This record gives sequence, C-alpha cells and structure tokens, in this order.
Amino acid sequence: MKRPGLWLATVAFLTFFLGPFFWQVLTSVWPDGQLTQPLPTSLTFDNYASVLWGRPFLQVLVNSLVAASLTTIFCMAVGASAAFALAKLEFRGRGLLLAAALAVSMFPPIATVSPLYLILRATGLRDTLVGLVPPYATFALPLTLWILTSFFRQLPDELYRAARVDGCTPLGAFWRVLLPLATPGLATTAILVFIFAWNEFLYALTFLSSPEKRTVPVAISLFASEHKEPWGEIAAASVIATLPLVVMTVLFQRRIVSGLTAGAVKE
Amino acid sequence: MNGTVKATGSMGRERRQAYMLVAPAVLVLLGVALYPILAAVWLSLHRLILVFGEQRWLGLENYGFMLGDARFWNALKNTAYFTLVAVTVELLLAVPLALLLNTAFPGRGLLRASVLVPWAIPTVVSAKLWAWLFNPDYGLINRLLPGQDINWLGVPGYALHAAILVDVWKTTPFMALLILAGLQGISEDIYKAARVDGASRWRSFLSITLPLLKPAILLALLFRTLDAFRVFDAIFVLTEGGPANTTETLSIYAYKTLMRAGNFGYGSMLSVMTFLCVVGLSLVYIRLLGKEGRG
Amino acid sequence: MRRPLISVLVLGLVLWTLPGCRRKKEEATAAGGKTPLVFKYQPLGDPVAFRELLADFERKNPDVVLTTEALPNSSDVAHQFFLTSLEGGADDFDVLVVDVVWVPEFARAGWIADISGAFPPEVLRRDFLSGPVEAVVVRDEKDQKDKTYAVPWYVDVGVLFYRTDLVPRAPRTYAELEQFARDARAKQPLLQGYVWQGRQYEGLNCNVFEAIWGHGGRVLDDKGRLELDTEPARAGLAYLRGLIASGISPPGVTSAAEEEARRVFQAGQAVFMRNWPYAWEEAQKPDSPIRGKVGITPLPTVSGEPGWGTLGGWQLAVNAHVSPKRKEAAERLIAHLTSPEANVMMALSYGRNPPRPSVYKDPRLVERVPFIASLLGMVENARPRPVTPYYNLLSDVLQSEFSAAIAGIRPPEQALKQAQRQVDHLTGQFE
Repeated sequence: MKRPGLWLATVAFLTFFLGPFFWQVLTSVWPDGQLTQPLPTSLTFDNYASVLWGRPFLQVLVNSLVAASLTTIFCMAVGASAAFALAKLEFRGRGLLLAAALAVSMFPPIATVSPLYLILRATGLRDTLVGLVPPYATFALPLTLWILTSFFRQLPDELYRAARVDGCTPLGAFWRVLLPLATPGLATTAILVFIFAWNEFLYALTFLSSPEKRTVPVAISLFASEHKEPWGEIAAASVIATLPLVVMTVLFQRRIVSGLTAGAVKE
Repeated sequence: MNGTVKATGSMGRERRQAYMLVAPAVLVLLGVALYPILAAVWLSLHRLILVFGEQRWLGLENYGFMLGDARFWNALKNTAYFTLVAVTVELLLAVPLALLLNTAFPGRGLLRASVLVPWAIPTVVSAKLWAWLFNPDYGLINRLLPGQDINWLGVPGYALHAAILVDVWKTTPFMALLILAGLQGISEDIYKAARVDGASRWRSFLSITLPLLKPAILLALLFRTLDAFRVFDAIFVLTEGGPANTTETLSIYAYKTLMRAGNFGYGSMLSVMTFLCVVGLSLVYIRLLGKEGRG
Repeated sequence: MRRPLISVLVLGLVLWTLPGCRRKKEEATAAGGKTPLVFKYQPLGDPVAFRELLADFERKNPDVVLTTEALPNSSDVAHQFFLTSLEGGADDFDVLVVDVVWVPEFARAGWIADISGAFPPEVLRRDFLSGPVEAVVVRDEKDQKDKTYAVPWYVDVGVLFYRTDLVPRAPRTYAELEQFARDARAKQPLLQGYVWQGRQYEGLNCNVFEAIWGHGGRVLDDKGRLELDTEPARAGLAYLRGLIASGISPPGVTSAAEEEARRVFQAGQAVFMRNWPYAWEEAQKPDSPIRGKVGITPLPTVSGEPGWGTLGGWQLAVNAHVSPKRKEAAERLIAHLTSPEANVMMALSYGRNPPRPSVYKDPRLVERVPFIASLLGMVENARPRPVTPYYNLLSDVLQSEFSAAIAGIRPPEQALKQAQRQVDHLTGQFE
C-alpha cells in the first residue's frame, strides 16, 4: 500500500532535481543555431570536443581535484579530532569555540578577499593550490566541526568510557573506537566539503593567476568572449565537471547510509 | 543522556589532550579568518573610497548613515523574505526526501546517486541554466506553462520567487543529506519496540523520528539559514539585483558597494551588518540546539 | 583504518610541495638577466593568432620574457579582481586590460602608470579615434596637463540592426523606427518590434544614454558634472518606457542583456535590435535564419541625423607598482599590441574593431572583413560615457533608477530626479 506513494515521491524528486540537469546535458549537445527552437533537430558533440581538446580542461579537472582533496583531507583530519574533543572531553571554552567557528565562517567572503590577498602574498602562498586550503578551511572547517561534534555527541558515552577503562588514552579511544563509528558523519562532511571546494570561485579567481593552476569554475568563466556566451560549451564543461562529483557521491553515499550497527549501540 | 565524559583521575591529561586536539583548528581559524574580519570591522569605521586613496576616521558614522539608508532597509527586507521562504520550502522538501533516502526500496540507489547533482553543479553555471529556463521567449518554463509568457526575471514580484526556486533546487539536497545523517543515528530497535506496541508509521514518525531528528534538523536549518541570508551568486546571475533593486539582497548591495564603487568603508560596514544579523540568527538556533544537547 | 589515512596524508604532503616548487623555479629563470613581463588579458577567441602576435614581440625584444594570464571577460569580475589586487599593491603583472570607463578611476587611485612619455596625448589624438582618446587621456588637476594613462586596444559602439527584408530602408528617426516596426508586425503579428538591453546592469546605462543623446541632450553639463533632470533625459527615458508600454518592445526586454536580445533577433523574431557589432558575425553564420537579411546603421534620433552609439572597448595600461625597467618593457609591449599591424590582425582574426581610423582603409580589412571597414562612420561617432573617476560609483545609482523607469515602477521624471539627487549627494561628498 505504501509502494505507489514511494514511487510517486521518488519520481517527483528525480524529475525536480535531475530535470534541469538533463536539460543541461541536452544543451551540451544542442547546436548553437537551434537553441531558440523548442527541441534540437540534430545533435552535435562539437562542444565536448572543443572543451576537452581545444581547452586544457583535463589539467583544470586535476587542479580542482587537488585543491578539493587537500581541503577535504585537511578539514577531516583537523576537524574530526577537534570535534571529538568538543563532544566528549571537558575543557573550558568548548561552547565558545563552536560559536566562534560558526561566526567566522559566516562573514561575507567578498569583504575578506582583500585582506586574504595580502596574507597570501606575504606568506608566498599566492598562486599555489595549497594556498587555497586555509581560506577554504574558514568555511569548511566550521561545517566539519559542527556536523562531527553533533555526531560524536550522539554516540553513547559508555563506548568512550569502556575504551578508557580498557587502557586507551583519550586519543587512542578516539582513533580506535569512536572514529570508525562516525563514518556516516565523516562521509557526509567529506562530500559537502569536497563539493564546496570544487565549486568555489571567488578565492580561486583572485588568488590563482597561472593558467596551469586554474580550477573548474574559473576555467568555465573564461569560456565567454567579450559579449558572446558559448552556452553549449559551458553546458558541456559543467557536465564533465559534475561527473567526478557524482562518482564521489555514489562512493561515499554507501557509507552514509550504512549507519550504526545495532550491536555497537547495545554494548 | 549523552553529555561530556567526566574523566576521573586523569582529568589533567584529558584536558591537555583536548587542547592538543583542538589546537590546529583554532590556529587555522584564528590565523586565516580573524584578520580579514578584524580588517573589515576596522575599515567599517572609516571612510575609504579607493578612488581617493585616503582613509578618514568616521567612528560609527557609517552605521548611523545606514539607519537612514533606504537601500539598506530594502536589501534587508529582500534578504529576510528570501531566507524565510527559501528555508521553509527546503525544510518541507528535505525531510520527506531524507526519509525516502532512508527507506529501502528498488529506486533508492538511483535517487541516492542523483540527489546531490544540483548541489554539485557550480553555482554560477546552475544559475545560468535556470536563467535560460526562465527566459521569457525560449525558456522551457514558459513553453510548458499554458497561457501568456511570464517575464520571470524582469518583473519585481516574479523575480525574487524565481531566485527562491533556484535556491530550493540547489540546496534541498544539502539539507536532506544532513537530516539523513541524523536519521542514521536513530537505532532500529526503537522502531521495533514501537511497532510491537502497535504504533502506526505516522505515529512513530511524529513521536519518535521527529523528536530524535530535532538536532539534525536544527543543524541543517542553522547552516541553511545562514547561507540563505548571504545568498549572492544565484540572484546576481539571474537579475543582478534588479529590476530597480527589487531583488537586491544585503550581499549584492555589499558587493556593488565594495567592488564596483570601491567604497571599502561603507561596503565593509554592510558586510559587518550582514555578519551581525547572521550571528543573531545563529544565536537563536544555538540556544535551541543547546537545549537539545543537554536533553 | 590507519594505513590508508597515513598514505593519504603523505600523498597530500607530496602534492603540497609540488605547486610550491614550480613557482620558485619560474622566478629563477626570469631572473636570468631578462625582464619578465606579465600580461593580464581577456581571451579573444582561438589563441593561435594572438600567440603569434606575442611571439613576434618576443622575437623583436629578446631581452623580455613574456607570460600571459587570462581573466574572465566579464567586466564586473575583472574590475573586482583589479580592485582587490591593485589595492593590495600587486606587482605580479605589468600590462593589464582596462575597460573604457575605468581609466580615470584607476588613474586617480594610483593603480595605473602615467605613460605620457611613450604615448604623448598629441600623438594619440593624431592617430586614434577621438572617443577612445577622450577616455584614456586624463587631465591632471595639479599641473593642468593632459596625461595618457592607457592606450586604446579595440573599440565597440552601440548600433542598430535591422531586417532588410522586413523594412524599406534604415530608419533615421524614432518615428520611422516605430512606423516600420508597426508595418512589419502588421504583416507578421508574431514578430517583436525592437529588442534592446533593459536589464539592470551597465548595458542599460548605454541604452539610456543613447536615448538621451538621440533626443538632443547631453549627460554632462559644461562643468563636467552629471546632469540628468533635463528635458532630453526625460524624453529619452520616456521613449524607452513607451516602447515597452506600446508593445513595440516585448516586456522581456527588462531582463535582457546582449545575448538575450541577440537570440531573439537571430531567430528571426525581431525587426530591430540595438546591440554591439559582434552580433553581425553571429547573424551571418551558416546556420543563421537571418543570414544575408541584416543591415546595420547608426541609432535613430529625433532630428534624423545619425545617432551616437555608446563607446565600448578595452585599453591597455601599465601597473603603477612595477619597477621602471619593467614599465619601460611594458610600454614596448603596449606599443606592439596597439600598432597598426596588430590592429589589422585583431580585426581579421578576432573581429575587434580598430581604434585607429587609418586601419579601416587598409585593403586587407576592406577585402576580408568589409563589415568592419564599413563601421568607420559609426565608430567615429561613438560617444564615451561620462569620463569621470566616479563613473563606477555613479553607474550603480543610474542603473537602478533607469531600471525603475523602464520597468514602469516609477515615472521617468521621478526616477531622474531621484537619480540626480543621489548623484549629487555622492559627488558632493567628494568635493
């Protein structure tokens, strides 16, 4: 009896979320001259050819991969350990740190571009992919902290206490017992941070200047010539750029939904 | 229930390890985030228009001017409306979506794989995609709707709602994902017990799922509200704040003041104001979340 | 659990060192006696011809090592980038592209260098079109001398496109335009009459200025201050609003920028279009429905004399923060890129209109891109937007008030009064 409702809801959601994306894919093979018609009468793969071979888009994808991966790894490493401490250990300034982290990530980025430019120049990190990680962390790290802290809080204290009784240091208890159980939270955060870093435009535009370091959003913004916008090429590039993210999502989604086993909770 | 663990006997060691664990995060945030914010606050107390290259101390005069600035209040109104409507709609869509993703049925794999696609497309590209969909002459939306073509992006009433639709499309998956992660934390045993007691699905949803989901929902609401309040790309690409500033949000006003006019003093003030509003909102949420954490 | 994480961290460390190493290497080679020059530009199209032009410069100047860095073509994004980096004292690029309305602003802010030594104003006035020269030569208030801050690279002008198969001839007055549009629509009711750019952005200012000029007005008064609450301004703005109200222009014009208008015209669904000359090349593409049916003419006016299109285009300037040695090399690069030969190449390969009037008569242009050669009259008549350091400041105010009038939110008179008040308030703060 529930089934038709589920199917209906699924179809509705799929149409809503994927519909525009399919339109984008269609646009990427739609000849430019026919864009004003309701549907294309012929298809062309010229856009993909020109994006992949006419422009150094593969290099661009690698750059984005590096920047996003570095940011994700950094935030996971720093954020998970800090979140554990915030959730399970008692020390002064916990609430303040979480609140401050949130506040700091909420400052409009456009007002921070100039000062950050000066910082990156002074530290020699301007025009390096690594130099993007600290600015990205100001947004990604608070998100990580909040999600993971909330996640660790939900894990029962008995687990931690049991591990300590067994002789673990707090760090050991974190590493061996709590972290594996937090996989859904880690996977969720990893996806969100990765996608955020992948699609970030303002900092990537301002702090990177060499052509060989360009990331995906900046590269796409360079497709347009003075007045004309090659809509088909932009669509093709965005489809190509979305594929790694979809792959990553599929891989990580399994981890999110696998969830806690009832056994661990019972203990 | 779950709170922090009082370490007996090794409290000092725990505290030290705790500081060690949070130190990297604190260092990064202090080092990279604090300076720009302080710089912006400092600038907001001055008059600095780049064309002149001179900086003049104003104290709180910028803030005083803002109180009488009709454009500021207009931007605040637009931002508040946008945030309220967008986040509400997203929540109403995200909870059923998360529940759906949590239920085992044949279509789930496809839904799981595809639901993050809107979030994954770069914001500017997806905004341009929607701008084309909203095109009054050739856009798919007007083609599908019967009757006269609507000038979606050129009429004040429609434009803001078009932007809201784009935001809902893009960020509902983000919210759903956060709520899904929260759903994972609810043990199956509780449902089994409820079913043994004879509770219907709807009843167990209301009295079990929803209350246990509250932290996740509040977290999702927190981040989404703060993001929606600072919305920029989607609206800028769709309308640039037009027509006649009727879709101008605080972020767009700040952007134009900072980056077009080069008015760093007033623009920084607008950024600080946006920040303060957002901090105010987050305090409300944190208070609600705090109650949950201690519950 | 532990091993994969560690290997990932190690990988991260390796990747971390790689980008850092590369950068230092580049600096080392540049210091090998040669002057490094960095040119910040916007993509023109197929890079082959442009690279050849740059390689030619390097051959003729063996003491210079040239690198290029691309910026998005969006004027907003480029402006924001330059604001951020130049205000931060960036000296890692030498030559930059500057939009036609930025030169006084950048000059006053001290971001671009005075290059009058290499490009004296008199020489520019002699060799280049008067409109662009007016935009790049700034009068120094202190010593009352004209100084050159940029050199025109290519120009643009607002023009009227019309369908040769739908109208008897090019309209010369507004009345003619409306009449021709009505006649054409009487025969084909699904046509739009006149499409232009009415979205709230800089392009709207261009359209409105053209309407004001076409009604006999000037936007700046004799003292060089913005004067908006005038009869021609009211008439021009009312005219534009009237186009929408009377149905000659579709309501969608209020959300249209260049591409939206072009698509309607190119699909064959409009009789007239105001746009930049780039739309011509698009219209003549093999799969264009209007190929061979398009004419181009100056904008109409009340009196019937040829109208004045807004001056667009980009110029080349030198970053004020660079050393004298690099500045000298930068000036050589600019001279190379703005030479008559370079102008010809830009026109032939990229369809960019030359700022040098002499180039329009070059036989190669006349033969291979006759369309550009024919633009000389219109380009000579191009009028710059108000040349003031405060243009970007004021432009914002103008955009929103003009948009209010176009969208029918406020009557033109009220919009102009409010615009004038805000402009006076802003400029009054500076004097």
